[in-house]
Amino acid sequence: MDVIEHAPIFRLPGIPDHVTYTWLVMIILGGLAFVGSRNVALVPRGVQNFLEVVLEQFLQMIDEVMGHEGRPYLPLIATLGLFILVGNLLSLVPGMNGPTTNLNTTAACALVVFFSYHWIGFRKHGAVTYLKHFMGPVPLALKPLMFVIEIISHLARPLSLTLRLFGNMVGGHILLAIIFFLMGLQGLIGWALSGSAVGAVVGGIGGAVMIVFTVGFLYPLKILVSFLQAFIFCMLTMLYISGAVEEAEHHGGEHQPAHH
Amino acid sequence: MRRPLTLAALVVLGIPGLALAADAPAGGSLIGPYSVLVAGFAMAFAAGLCALGQGRAVASAVDAMARQPGAAARIQTAMIIGLALIESLAIYVLVVAMILLFVQPIK
Repeated sequence: MDVIEHAPIFRLPGIPDHVTYTWLVMIILGGLAFVGSRNVALVPRGVQNFLEVVLEQFLQMIDEVMGHEGRPYLPLIATLGLFILVGNLLSLVPGMNGPTTNLNTTAACALVVFFSYHWIGFRKHGAVTYLKHFMGPVPLALKPLMFVIEIISHLARPLSLTLRLFGNMVGGHILLAIIFFLMGLQGLIGWALSGSAVGAVVGGIGGAVMIVFTVGFLYPLKILVSFLQAFIFCMLTMLYISGAVEEAEHHGGEHQPAHH
Repeated sequence: MRRPLTLAALVVLGIPGLALAADAPAGGSLIGPYSVLVAGFAMAFAAGLCALGQGRAVASAVDAMARQPGAAARIQTAMIIGLALIESLAIYVLVVAMILLFVQPIK
């Protein structure tokens, strides 16, 4: 890993890189929010306009998935989504280190989701009703089995949220690092500059092809994946919350399959 | 030679053992070289099978969108969620492969 991947440019002594860059993301988002809400106008302009467009996208998504009763959860969902999106995009900036390429950050996000949707369910239905739902609409003899299975499936949710975001980000990260390593001064470009005639031709053409491939294909792909992963994280959060909120209405009816 | 793939796999899997047996002292662990091989093969299998599954999902989703263009947005959302859930299985394998390659908990 150390061979192909370089440390980020800016590091604070004694503080892990992902924490430093989490603070950077917080500064970016907090600064945007501060600038956007300093002079709130009825007809939005500039930063405020941009932020309102972004938040309206989130609201539209919530309305589609959860209906209007999902609106109170906008702060949680939008904060997670924006944090993950900016964190993902930050890892694409050369010399930076995205916070979401570290397992600790993604695990923190997933645990926040896990505890909040259970808290929302508890508050909405009360402990007994909420726990009862874990048993599902099955005959009495099967209820203990169902309860255990449901508990395991609920515990698997934060795990899969964590690993999905982390794996997608780190997979792309390692791919880019390997491509840059192959392309760089120890690879094709180094060969082109080494002075030999064959190296100049093969390394030059190969390096040019790799640069075009990286800029034209890999970077857009990574940007797409960044948006997609943030979207999926928000979407699954909404599904979990709406599952916890709506559970009482499904009593005795058709059982919702668990979303992992 | 009726099963060239099996033979090739045996040869490939045998190489690190031979290479290591040549210069490693007795008691040298084979886990390191094998874990590199296993990580690569595991990722290859996971990516291939994940691609099959996702291909089926996308094919049905596109089929449904062509039949009912009105419901395209909802189908697309469901498709993306489904793809994420399918993909997460391959991602688990990626994480295991990365643990084998970089963390190397078993030596």
